Amino acid sequence: MRISRRTFAAAAVALVLPLSACGSGGDDGGSTDASGKVEGDITFQTWNLRANFKPYFEGLIADFEKKYPGTRVKWIDQPAEGYADKISADAAGGTLPDVVNVSPDLVAPLAEAGLALDLDKAAGKYKSEYLDGAWASHQVPGLSGTYAFPWYLNTGPLFYNKSLFEKAGLDPSTPPKTYDELFADALRLAKKSDGKVATLANVPTIEDFGRYGVQLMNKEGTGFGFNDAKGVELLSKYKELYDAKALDPQALTATPESSGKKFLTEAVAMNPGSALDLGNFKKQAPNLYKNIGITDQITSTGHVNMYVMGVMVNSRTKHTPAAVAFAHFVTDARNQMSFAKKVAIFPSTAGSLDDPYFTKEDGTDETRVRIAAAQSLKNAVNYTPVLFSEQMKTALRNEVAKALQGKESPKTALDNAVKACDQLLKQQG
Amino acid sequence: MAGVSRVRRQLPTSPWLFAAPGLIVIGAFVLYPFVSTVVNSFTDRRTLIPGRFVGLANFRELLHDDMFWTGLRNSTLYIVGVVPALVILPLLLALLVQKNIPGITFFRSAFYTPVVASIVVVGLIWVWLLDERGLVNSLLEAVGIGRVGFLSDQWLLLLSAMAVTVWKGLGYYMIIYLAALANVPRELHEAAAVDGAGPVRRFLTVTVPAVRSTMVLVAALSSVAAFKVFSEVYLMAGPSGGPAGEDTTLVMLVQRTGTGLTGRVGYASALSVVVFVVTVVLMLLVLRADRREET
Amino acid sequence: MSVLEKVRPRQEPVVRELRVTDEHGRRIRVWELVLRYALLLAVLALTVGPFLWQLSTSLKGPTEDIFSSPPTFLPSHPTLHNYERVAHTIPVWDYALNSLKVASASVVTNCVGSALAGYALARLRYRGRGVATLVFVLAMLVPVEGIIIAQFTTMRELGLNNTLIGVVLPGSIGAMNVLLMRNAFRNLPYEIEEAAYVDGATVWQRFWRIALPSVKGTLAVVAIFAFMGAWDDFLWPLIVLSDPDKFTLTIGLNYLHGTFANDERLVAAGTVIAVAPLIALFACLQRYFFRGVGEGAVKG
Repeated sequence: MRISRRTFAAAAVALVLPLSACGSGGDDGGSTDASGKVEGDITFQTWNLRANFKPYFEGLIADFEKKYPGTRVKWIDQPAEGYADKISADAAGGTLPDVVNVSPDLVAPLAEAGLALDLDKAAGKYKSEYLDGAWASHQVPGLSGTYAFPWYLNTGPLFYNKSLFEKAGLDPSTPPKTYDELFADALRLAKKSDGKVATLANVPTIEDFGRYGVQLMNKEGTGFGFNDAKGVELLSKYKELYDAKALDPQALTATPESSGKKFLTEAVAMNPGSALDLGNFKKQAPNLYKNIGITDQITSTGHVNMYVMGVMVNSRTKHTPAAVAFAHFVTDARNQMSFAKKVAIFPSTAGSLDDPYFTKEDGTDETRVRIAAAQSLKNAVNYTPVLFSEQMKTALRNEVAKALQGKESPKTALDNAVKACDQLLKQQG
Repeated sequence: MAGVSRVRRQLPTSPWLFAAPGLIVIGAFVLYPFVSTVVNSFTDRRTLIPGRFVGLANFRELLHDDMFWTGLRNSTLYIVGVVPALVILPLLLALLVQKNIPGITFFRSAFYTPVVASIVVVGLIWVWLLDERGLVNSLLEAVGIGRVGFLSDQWLLLLSAMAVTVWKGLGYYMIIYLAALANVPRELHEAAAVDGAGPVRRFLTVTVPAVRSTMVLVAALSSVAAFKVFSEVYLMAGPSGGPAGEDTTLVMLVQRTGTGLTGRVGYASALSVVVFVVTVVLMLLVLRADRREET
Repeated sequence: MSVLEKVRPRQEPVVRELRVTDEHGRRIRVWELVLRYALLLAVLALTVGPFLWQLSTSLKGPTEDIFSSPPTFLPSHPTLHNYERVAHTIPVWDYALNSLKVASASVVTNCVGSALAGYALARLRYRGRGVATLVFVLAMLVPVEGIIIAQFTTMRELGLNNTLIGVVLPGSIGAMNVLLMRNAFRNLPYEIEEAAYVDGATVWQRFWRIALPSVKGTLAVVAIFAFMGAWDDFLWPLIVLSDPDKFTLTIGLNYLHGTFANDERLVAAGTVIAVAPLIALFACLQRYFFRGVGEGAVKG
């Protein structure tokens, strides 16, 4: 009786070693030549998009098949949970689909194992169609090449609870703009509410260190460096907040989902989010919605953080031309634009963000958030290094927690985290 | 006589025919994969990169891995916390539902529902209930106790997960005890009653000795399950295992180190092997303790 | 008093039949009855309460604030709207049908396979019986957590990945179920089979006509365990299946945790959909289930 959900794709591939064992580098396996005739049956895998966007993808595929007679695209969509496990099993078992929706951290190990097609070689001509930053987000330190087409981007503002600000004697119309203001307001909110209202719900992640201006990795991508003075400074600040209960006491165990709930239950005064969340607030906590204020993401670098989704081509596909053509088709300006109009995400194609849809106000909150986000995306950065694996995230998270609990000094904690991550990096490479 | 010899002739082959489907399925899908886990535990294999033989390096690394010791501690604590409760509470519950009073089948079935529901659903519900602003805390606040950080304190988290394990297991072990109680000769109770023994003494002098072997079975089953606990803690404390990973259990560590595209399959396999060996030892210990008491 | 009067006529025969150990004979004192019901109700609240809370959330309409503090127990405007939305968002009936297929197949294979193997372990004499038993015991101890990718590659070599058969196979004969059946057969008195043996019945005849009918209750236990295991499983079907048309309900319901939105009411409705069939099934089979328990299948 198997019971658990994400159970554990932990171990053991015995017989199929040779199949999955492809060493590193990108030049073995299927053809990298995408210049042949676009034909054949390919499979396209997305990540949790079917429930809301089925008609969009069916239309997209129909268009492609019409444009290239002789092709057939089979669309499969995987649910939210267990995506990395699913891809791992498929990659190890040799059943990876031809075109796969990935995020940069998934691309890196696939590229190192030679399972992702180098698009600089196979599709270099399309490079200029995309924003430079977006194209670069699927490059892997230590490997030359780009391993996925950039697809949709996302970023978002910071939401805050106006009535909680007001109760603490803060002006709800002037939310914090800098880290110093943020920390000061947070301490005040906690003090005025006797520690009942926190301002932040999450411990700092690698992305927060990046946004604070910490140099996360050395230039060569061979070692981490977030234990520098700036990193220690940020963590010390968070420790202060944690002690004052301005960082939610449950933050050490929080997930993005649970911290969102905290904001909805008004236990937390601020929450990072995106345009998508507005609708969510309206639905789930109608009373709260009236009190929500919106402000910009806080950074010390001037570059907001963005999330990137990509579309990679399996290097072992039997139909390289069709797979490359389809991956490009999904991510081209026209199709990204029409997807962006379906849901509040942003196209990664050059020039798309200048479309009136992303520049013209119409008085609604949704549009205001969308325009602000589109503006900030033009020079946004994906701070999370592509080589930062799940195991590293856990290592950092646990060391940060030790510092917040006072079991280690912020400096020691970050030193340990860097040591652990460097060790994991070495084992990966 | 002819009949008997016909039976004899069949004996060499048919027992294996009976057992074959089970042995094949178990062999192909449980034992064979586990053998490859054992093999992998001596390599530095990763999810997408084949391994080299590294001897006992993984096992040596285990000894110096703080997380391993945390995991071992928590998995052991889980046995200490959960097993006594699961040996005693379901027995009391079984006594409660044993008597055929009207509506008792309804109660028996209702008590079994937590067993039937998937652990994911159960985890979701309890996280929702035990949240700082959840139902339980609202009730605690209403009666003047105040809010309790069930899901933020390292030890309370572990205790909450244990409580959920006990909650979900109550019905299951209740059933096992019901079966055993059905076979306790009623005369024993009557004799004790005539001697003037009260309910508590009868429980201790009649019921407990009569279901002793069942208690051992429950102890064995629940301690193996407790040592291998994953879902409850994973769902409540989160993938990183609570604050600073302090609630990580051994199997969670297997999952964390071994899964995903960057998983260290070799190291995780070594962990799996350790978990397996410990559960075998546990089983043997419980059974031996049982035998010693009997003689 | 009226409670007792209504109770007694129905209860007497039952008590005698099942030989419940009732130290006071047939009479149950009023205070004891009250105490028992009070305790039963308390445990009931504890075991079923959380599910009712989930049910209540799933019935709350879009205008109700489900995050309000203190929480409201009853929906003020109960609605089935959330269930409609679940059905609208995902093809819930298709997924349920797949789950039903997988779970039913698992019930059949487990009942047949475990009964056969259990009989071989309990009743037949041959060299290697101890080893065979040990295999099943050890299999029970293997941390399933560590072998899932190896299971997947095996399945792929058999060409059964992305099939419902592949979903069923690894759990098709559970080691635990085999051991349950073994215990049930072992608790049967030998005399039952002896007569048939002398009459010249073959092993198969003895198994099929005599032994098996005596352990029907244990089969019900195995059936419920098998159904539960297959119905509730998430990761294995996710890994084996690629084609969304073949997804089972547990995977399908995971779509409700949207990439772009998370709706607590929808998730609550999903969990109710996932649990309800199991509770219904158990309610139907519970009579046989508790009889199986009486056979001592799960006894040490």
